[in-house]
Amino acid sequence: MMAHWRPAPGSAAWLLLHELRLFWYNTGGSKGDAAGHRVGWSAIVLVAVTWLVLHVAGWFAMGAMAGVSSGDPRLLLAVTAILLASATFMLSTAIKSSVLALFERGDLDLLLSSPLPSRSIFSVRLAGVAASTAGIYLFFLAPFAHGALLHGQWRWLGVYPVLIGTAVLCACGAMLLTLGLVRLIGARRTRVVAQVLGALAGALLVIASQTYTLFRGPDRTRSFIADIAGQGGVLAADSPLWLPARALLGDVGPMLGLTALAVAAFTLTARRTHRFFAVGLQLSASSGSVATSKKMVPLRTHFGRSLLHTVVIKEWRLIVRDPQLISQVLLQLLYLVPLCFAVFRDSGVHVPAVGAGLTLLASSLVGSLAWIALSAEDAPDLLLVSPASPRALRRAKLAAAVMPVLLLTAAPLLWLIVYAPAAGLVLCFTVSAAVLAAGMIVFWCGRPGVRSNFKANGKRGFAMNMLEVLNSLGWCALAWLLAAAALAPPSDYVVLGAGAALTVSMLTLASAWLMRHPRDRAV
Amino acid sequence: MSEHASPALRLKGLCKQFGRPAVDGLDLTVQRGELYALLGPNGAGKTTTLRLVTGLLTPDAGTIEVLGVDMARAPSDAKRGLAYLPDEPLLYGKLKPYEYLEFVAGLWGVRAEVAAPRARELLDWLDLSRHAHELTEGFSRGMKQKLALAGALIHAPQLLILDEPLTGLDAAAARQVKDLLLSHVAQGGSVILTTHILEVAERLAHRIGIIRAGRLIAEGTLDELRERTQGGSLEEVFLQLTTAS
Repeated sequence: MMAHWRPAPGSAAWLLLHELRLFWYNTGGSKGDAAGHRVGWSAIVLVAVTWLVLHVAGWFAMGAMAGVSSGDPRLLLAVTAILLASATFMLSTAIKSSVLALFERGDLDLLLSSPLPSRSIFSVRLAGVAASTAGIYLFFLAPFAHGALLHGQWRWLGVYPVLIGTAVLCACGAMLLTLGLVRLIGARRTRVVAQVLGALAGALLVIASQTYTLFRGPDRTRSFIADIAGQGGVLAADSPLWLPARALLGDVGPMLGLTALAVAAFTLTARRTHRFFAVGLQLSASSGSVATSKKMVPLRTHFGRSLLHTVVIKEWRLIVRDPQLISQVLLQLLYLVPLCFAVFRDSGVHVPAVGAGLTLLASSLVGSLAWIALSAEDAPDLLLVSPASPRALRRAKLAAAVMPVLLLTAAPLLWLIVYAPAAGLVLCFTVSAAVLAAGMIVFWCGRPGVRSNFKANGKRGFAMNMLEVLNSLGWCALAWLLAAAALAPPSDYVVLGAGAALTVSMLTLASAWLMRHPRDRAV
Repeated sequence: MSEHASPALRLKGLCKQFGRPAVDGLDLTVQRGELYALLGPNGAGKTTTLRLVTGLLTPDAGTIEVLGVDMARAPSDAKRGLAYLPDEPLLYGKLKPYEYLEFVAGLWGVRAEVAAPRARELLDWLDLSRHAHELTEGFSRGMKQKLALAGALIHAPQLLILDEPLTGLDAAAARQVKDLLLSHVAQGGSVILTTHILEVAERLAHRIGIIRAGRLIAEGTLDELRERTQGGSLEEVFLQLTTAS
C-alpha cells in the first residue's frame, strides 16, 4: 500500500491544504457535481494550451529583444510602467481577496473557535491572498521569461521573485488596509474601494498605452525619455525608482532586497497583526449592517409623481448610488479613450472621427444602462404584482437609460453643429438613432440578470452581445461616412460604405426585433 | 353579482404544473373581512397558489377572481386592490424607506395627499422613521420585512396576501405584524397567509385551509378541523391530515 504524506491535523500545512482544496472546488468543479468536474478538466486543458501559446509568443517576443541592454532607459521605463500598473491591479485584487477571505467566506467563526492558533489561520489566509494575487500575473508574464531563457537570457527569470514579492507586499498592504477600511466603512464599501482602485489601474494602463500617441511619434518619445533619464534628470540611471525594474531584469541586489522586504512584510503582518485581525473581525461583525450616523436633514418626499417619473427617478437613484456599478460602466467607456487620442492627434478637429467616437460611446453607454434598468431589475415581482402596465414600465425604464446619454451627448453635438453645421446635424441623427437602436435591442432581447453580474462575461448572451457590437459599429461607421460626406462631396466609396453601414444597422435592428422576447410579440 | 358582494378571493379549479402538478384543481374562497391561513407541508403548493393569485404565474386551468374581478380578463383592475408580501422582501437596497414607498405608491397610482401621510404613519408605527435617512441595504432582516409590509399597505389594499410574513422577525416585530393583520380584517379587509408557525394560524385565522400536493384536503375553522380529526392542537390536526396516506 502506498503511504500518502498527510500534514498533521491543525498544522499550518494542513490548513493550507484545506485552502487549496477549496480553491480547486471553487474553480475547477464549480458546478458541484460530476459534470462540474468534467468542466474542470476541460478548463485545465484550455489553460494548458493557452500557456503553451503564450510560451510561443514569448519566445518570438523575447527573441526580438535579445539585443536590448538592461540599462536602456526605454526598457526600464516600459518595465517600470508594467510593474506599476500590475502593482495597482494587484492591490485591487488583493483587497477584494482580503474582503472575501476575512469577511465574506463565513468560515472564520468556525476556524477561530477551533483550537488552531489564530496566527496560523492568518498566515495561511495571507498566503492565500498573495498566491491568488500573483497567480494571474505569473500565468501571463512567466512564459515571456521562459521564452527569454530559451534565447539564453537568464535575467528575465527575475520576473518570479519580483512578481511574487510584489504580490506579497500588496497582500500585506491589502490585508491591513482591508482591516482598517472595514472598521471604518464596512465590508461592502471596502469592496467598492477595491473596484475603484481597479478602475484607476485600468485608466493608468490605457493612458500609458497612449504615451506614444501623446508625444506624436518616436522622435518626441525618444527626446522626452532622454530628457528625464539623462544626467540630473528625474529618472537618471541611478534613480531608486528603477530598482523594481532592475530587479525584474535580473539585477541581484535589488532582487534580493525586494525578496527580503516581502519576507519581512509577510512575517511582520502575520505575527503582529493576527490580534488586530480578530478584533477587526469582531468589530465588523458587531458594528452590524446599519449605519449609526444619523444625518437629520429634513426629509423631502415626492409622492404622487406620474408612473414614468416614478420609474425614471427610481432607476437613476439606483444607478447613481451604486459606485461599483458606475465604476464598471465607466471602465467600459475608458477603453474608448484611445479613440479620443487618435481623434485629437492631428492638428485641428477631425469631425467625422469625433462623430463616430461619440456615436460609439453613446450606443455603448445606452447598452449598459439599458441592461441595468431593464434586465437587472432588483424586485421584478413587485412590478408584476402592481397594476401598472408592464409595457409602460419597460418604456419608462428605457427612457431612464436613454435620457442621461442624450443629455450627455447634447453639448458636444451642439458644439459640432456650430463648428460644422451640416455634419453636426447629420451626427445628431446618427447619435440619436444609435442610442435608440441600442436601447431597443436590450428592450427586445435583454435577459434578466443581477446587477452584481454586470461585469461577468456573457451576462447578456452571445447573440445579444453580437447585436450590440454590430449596432455600435454600424452606426459608428455610418456617422463617420455621413459626416465626411457632409463636409466634402462624397466619393463613390463613401456612398457605398454608408449604404453598407446603414444596411448592417438596419439588419441588426431587424434581427433584434425578430429575436424579441415573446412578451413583446403580442402588440 | 356586484363587486361589493363578491368574496375577496375565489379560486375555481385552479391548476398549475411544473412537470408535475404543483396546484391541482384548487377551489378556495376567502370572504371579505376574513383572515385565512393556508397551511401545508413543504412543496405542497402554497407559494405557487399565492403567486397564481397575485398574477406572478399564469394558471394552466381554472379561474381567479380577486374582489370580484377576473385576474385573466382584467389583471390591472384585479391587482389594484391586492398587496403581496413574499417571504423574501421585494426591496431595493439603494433606496431609502420613503423613496421605496414613493415608488410603490407610484406603481399603484396613489395620490400624493393620500400616500404622504400614510407613509409617515406606517413608518412611525413600524418604528422605521428613525432609519428614514438610511439605505435599506443596511437594514436587518426584520426591518426589511417591516418596510416591505409598509410598501404592501401604502395603497390600502383590500386583500393582503402574505407568504410566511413572520420569518426573521423578533418577538416585538412579530407582535406588531399580527396586530396589524387583525386590525386590517377588523376594518373589513381580508388576509390570506401561509405560515409554518401553526400557533400563528391557530390564534389569528378565522378559517384554515390545509393543502397537500396542490389539493385542498381540509378546510374550516379550527374547531371544525378538530372535530373532523378528533385531534387536540392544530399541530396534531395538521400532522394527522398531512401524513395520512
